[in-house]
Amino acid sequence: MIDVSSPSVFVHVSFWVFAAAAVLSGWRVFRTDSMVRATFLLLVSFLNVGAILLLLGGAYLGVALLFMMTVEMTVMAIFMVAFMMNPAGLNPMVMVHQPRLAAAAGWVLFGGGIVVAVWGRFPDRPLEPGRPVIVELGTELMGRSMLIFESAAVALVATMIGSVVLSSRRSRYGEAAGDDGSLPPPLDPVLGTYPTGVVPETSTDGGDGHGGDGHGGMH
Amino acid sequence: MTAQAEVWAAPLLTAGVLAAGAYVVAVLDAAVAAAVSGAGIGRSVLAGPLRRAALLVVQQPSATERPDAASWALAPALYAGLAAAGLAVIPWSASFSVADVEAGIVLWGTVESLAIVAIFLHGWSANTHQSLLAAYRFLAAGLSYLLLSMFVLIAAAIPAESLQLSRIVESQHGLWNVVRQPLGLPLFAVVALGSSTWGPLNLADGDDLSGGTTADVSGRPRLVWSGARAAMLTSFSAMAATVFLGGWQGPVLPGPAWVVLKTLVVLAALVASGHLFARVRTERFVTVCWLVLLPLAFLDLVIAGVEAL
Repeated sequence: MIDVSSPSVFVHVSFWVFAAAAVLSGWRVFRTDSMVRATFLLLVSFLNVGAILLLLGGAYLGVALLFMMTVEMTVMAIFMVAFMMNPAGLNPMVMVHQPRLAAAAGWVLFGGGIVVAVWGRFPDRPLEPGRPVIVELGTELMGRSMLIFESAAVALVATMIGSVVLSSRRSRYGEAAGDDGSLPPPLDPVLGTYPTGVVPETSTDGGDGHGGDGHGGMH
Repeated sequence: MTAQAEVWAAPLLTAGVLAAGAYVVAVLDAAVAAAVSGAGIGRSVLAGPLRRAALLVVQQPSATERPDAASWALAPALYAGLAAAGLAVIPWSASFSVADVEAGIVLWGTVESLAIVAIFLHGWSANTHQSLLAAYRFLAAGLSYLLLSMFVLIAAAIPAESLQLSRIVESQHGLWNVVRQPLGLPLFAVVALGSSTWGPLNLADGDDLSGGTTADVSGRPRLVWSGARAAMLTSFSAMAATVFLGGWQGPVLPGPAWVVLKTLVVLAALVASGHLFARVRTERFVTVCWLVLLPLAFLDLVIAGVEAL
């Protein structure tokens, strides 16, 4: 266990190594040319931040950050590859949108962070060794702050399920027809012949708002 | 043992146990294969794995067109390192463990989730189609089985009132978790097979995809990867023995001997499953995972919670 009240040289050196690695890999996220690489470089950045939390004595928070970020970035890799026109995340592609606005916003935020870091006043209350931090954290999360965390959790789950439901109308055979699921494409698109046993769609409702021919590009 | 000696002894012990474990896995695998096929267990069962390893050492590593070279080279190392990190939190007796950290269960969760990343990157970075297919179908299965592990491990932590593995072993005094929470061990076995991509859940390195993520890997990288998979299976067996089979507890024999014995029993069962059950289909496994196994894992957690109240 790291003695937080009087950090050793090892802790100081580790802090700078982790901090440099976090910034460096965070920068590489925007310089790489692949969705999968960008996602896992971001994961490396988060893992280094988690390691710094461990150095600060946050035994549970540090490890939980490592764990959560790993799962989240893995899910993100799947989503990014699935929703982008980039087969399997291997094709080189530009990783930035609106680069000027993003750069300006980035510099403003970075400046704000520096102002807070240099001129802000931080509490100096080192933990006394042997304090049951995990028990105290659990009591806080499951006590006073329970409503906030549980509401946030339910909202997050609802958002995730909602996004999957909205996006999964396109299925293996293209656009879902109504709510009956999607149909395989006709054998000959010009003649409109269908595979044996498949009843062609005869309804002509255009009211569901999904344009396109059902086999074309991504939305 | 002095503090200075411990600094060096801990990694050596962990690496030694994992190397021995990997060899035992290879021998068990050959023995079960021989027994199931009726070929009879001969001397080749003991020497075969060593011969194969020696062949891989001298074999030329294969190259592919424009791989992600860094990820391809580092994925086996990351995977082996994770097996070691997982083994490090396991207590060998009431007084000895390499790193009996306070949030041991959560650290183990990190090992499981990073193992998914390592396996995926191993297949993705080769830039060849069989390994890419294997990587993506594994990822779908991996994200499905991961939650099972969280639920059953938290259920095991509830009676101990701690995330620390030594406390979880102590909480099983008189009644092992395999009896108290009967759903836990079978569900954890699913996670073990998935995380070491073994037997019926060998989706990443399956023969149906010409070896999956290893389809284009030969030589020493292949040796490291195969060794790391067997090491991961060993770590998972030791974890199952600790969380569900009472860990170091047992009569007459000293603590570490019980941990080794129980680990070997779990290991034998997991390895045998590879020769007794067919490989699952990814789509069906994902469906069964979310619709059947996950509710069962949640039930396990609810039962543990109600019992604690």
